Amino acid sequence: MPIQINKDIVGKEYPPFVVHVERGKIKEFARAIGDLSPLYLDDAVGRASEWGDIVAPPTFPIVFREDGGTMLQDLGVDISRILHGEQEFEHRKPIRPGETYLCRSKVVDIYEKTGRSGPMAFVVRETTATDGDNEVVAVMRSVTVVRL
Amino acid sequence: MKYARIYFEDVEVGAEMPSLVKGPIQQIQLTRYAGASGDFNPIHQDDGFAKAAGMGGIFAHGMLSMGFVAQSVTDWTGVGTVRKIGVRFAALVRPGDIVTCRGKAVAKRPAKDSQEENLVDLEVWAENQKGEKVVTGKATVALNSRA
Repeated sequence: MPIQINKDIVGKEYPPFVVHVERGKIKEFARAIGDLSPLYLDDAVGRASEWGDIVAPPTFPIVFREDGGTMLQDLGVDISRILHGEQEFEHRKPIRPGETYLCRSKVVDIYEKTGRSGPMAFVVRETTATDGDNEVVAVMRSVTVVRL
Repeated sequence: MKYARIYFEDVEVGAEMPSLVKGPIQQIQLTRYAGASGDFNPIHQDDGFAKAAGMGGIFAHGMLSMGFVAQSVTDWTGVGTVRKIGVRFAALVRPGDIVTCRGKAVAKRPAKDSQEENLVDLEVWAENQKGEKVVTGKATVALNSRA
């Protein structure tokens, strides 16, 4: 019997949360991927660059999360049922160490499909990060797959 | 070439990106990525948990593979050039797998005025050692003109 999920959360906006980008976190993230570009890792190289500091790799904003598993609780699903289906990042400004960003996250769609491995739900969430000038720095769209 | 930036004029539609080979994926790398990213889903760490969840054992975070794909792009076009990158996670990456990232330029969109950037659209993907696609997607990079 497939499980039921709570589709009423389409349109739900989560409370905004603040992230502070630490220099060490950028380096830890780049090293975990094995991307050893000095523009991520070497402060002196960053200082001499067009940005005047190191910057974050393109997939870094995935760390912008305020967890506690709130969305999973809302959906009524256990973490063992979820898979990451799709992910997109739109970059409008570089992400820099020492900056603070305000993130807003919203569930934009939920749809169901039956694949080879059975019925699945696709939960689409969009998160927008803005800087102190209220300019959008990054937009992320993620699709979480729930094995029903 | 690794840390070079390329110019808009240097890329032709159909041009292939240099491939980037990552792995074999080690379990410790998944632990490290969990710590770096904050994604502590035990399905990537605990074999018993992953088996009980019906996944046949642990597998890599999709985001780790996406990180490899993003690196393959920036290794070619330069850090700071990615305006958009979007992928679908097509198959699981397991410990021991070798992930090869590839891509090609599919369109060039020159700036229409000084407010716009020169954009190149890329098709990107990653495949495992059996040639199966594990990640498929698209990226858009902004490149400076030589002029």
